[in-house]
Amino acid sequence: MGRGLTARILFVLYLGALVAATLIHVWWLLAAALLLSVTLAGPARWHLLRRTLLSALAFNLAVSAGYAVMAVWQGTFSAQYLLLLNSRVLLMVFLGFWFIARVDLPAVVSGSPGLSFLLTVAVAQALVLRRQVHDFEQAFTSRNPRRPRTGDRLRHAAAQGQHLLDQSLHAADETALAMRSRACFDD
Amino acid sequence: MHIPDGFIAPQVYLPAYALAAGAWWWSARGLRRRLEAEQVPRLAMLTALAYALGLVMIPLPGGTSGHALGVALLALLFGVRLCFIAYSMVLVLQSLLFGAGGITALAINALTMGLTGSLAALAAYHGLRRFNESVAVLAAGWLSVVVSALLIAVVLGLQPMIGQRADGSPLFFPFGLSITLPAVLLPHLLIGIGEAALTLLIWRFARARKWAAA
Repeated sequence: MGRGLTARILFVLYLGALVAATLIHVWWLLAAALLLSVTLAGPARWHLLRRTLLSALAFNLAVSAGYAVMAVWQGTFSAQYLLLLNSRVLLMVFLGFWFIARVDLPAVVSGSPGLSFLLTVAVAQALVLRRQVHDFEQAFTSRNPRRPRTGDRLRHAAAQGQHLLDQSLHAADETALAMRSRACFDD
Repeated sequence: MHIPDGFIAPQVYLPAYALAAGAWWWSARGLRRRLEAEQVPRLAMLTALAYALGLVMIPLPGGTSGHALGVALLALLFGVRLCFIAYSMVLVLQSLLFGAGGITALAINALTMGLTGSLAALAAYHGLRRFNESVAVLAAGWLSVVVSALLIAVVLGLQPMIGQRADGSPLFFPFGLSITLPAVLLPHLLIGIGEAALTLLIWRFARARKWAAA
């Protein structure tokens, strides 16, 4: 079986699992599915679980806490709802990270040369830009022992945006030049 | 602004996928023919830039922060169809690689931000550019964020009505329109200003480099 075909089959299975997770409204079934997925994920399971918790934490915490306060105040609190919501979201996010850890994303769109190219270049650039944003944030944090003022944060965001723009423009020209020299634009 | 996985009922995201599938087909049709050689890397880079802009947090009053979209910029430089495809890709990357947004909510996020946001941006730009081009670009950036936020707030706020148990407890997103509209829309009225400024800045760079038509 070809790499592209395997990737597309796994992609369909992943999508099917996501839809199933939104059709099940029993929290312990979703929690059991999460436990099963974590078990089957192999040696990367703890790394994937940590990523899942970190990425889902902010939104889930805000929604869960907001719901708890509002529902207690209105007398409609349901612990089952919180368990259902959180087990469903964690399962779906974990499945996403597990899928992407096992499958090469460009292989999924390998049927379309245009999309494959766009995806490959965009992913490579996104990873570079993401690292730069992270570097900027670390530098900003290290230079501000106290909480920075809003004006400082705005100037920092403007400097980041400017740098990302310069980087993008430069990379676009370089890539176009490299592709042209390799006859990528010749039909 | 992105809706994550697990908060939207299948009665909403499945029809949204059917709608988005049509829009993706329309956008992708003749993609290779429509993309000129120099446009491909530029589109890819600006797609990556739109992704990276989502990581640059703009501070908001009250200690919170929001982020820009880059939709207006993509729409002004490449048109609605390419913008929709490129921004859908940004959403896929953000969702799968970095866990921001969701695959079940992808169609809703793409339709609200990538399609409606870009249509709003272009409507504002074409409606205002005869008066002042800079103002038109600023309005395009601001409106793309605000219209997208409004639609996201409506979709989220409808969830308690669509997905609930017999006892009335929610199955998906728990807050109604009376909460989602102010909670999502009000911060984005401010985020839109940041987006507008960024859009104008990058638009001027692009015009200076002859990326955009005069």
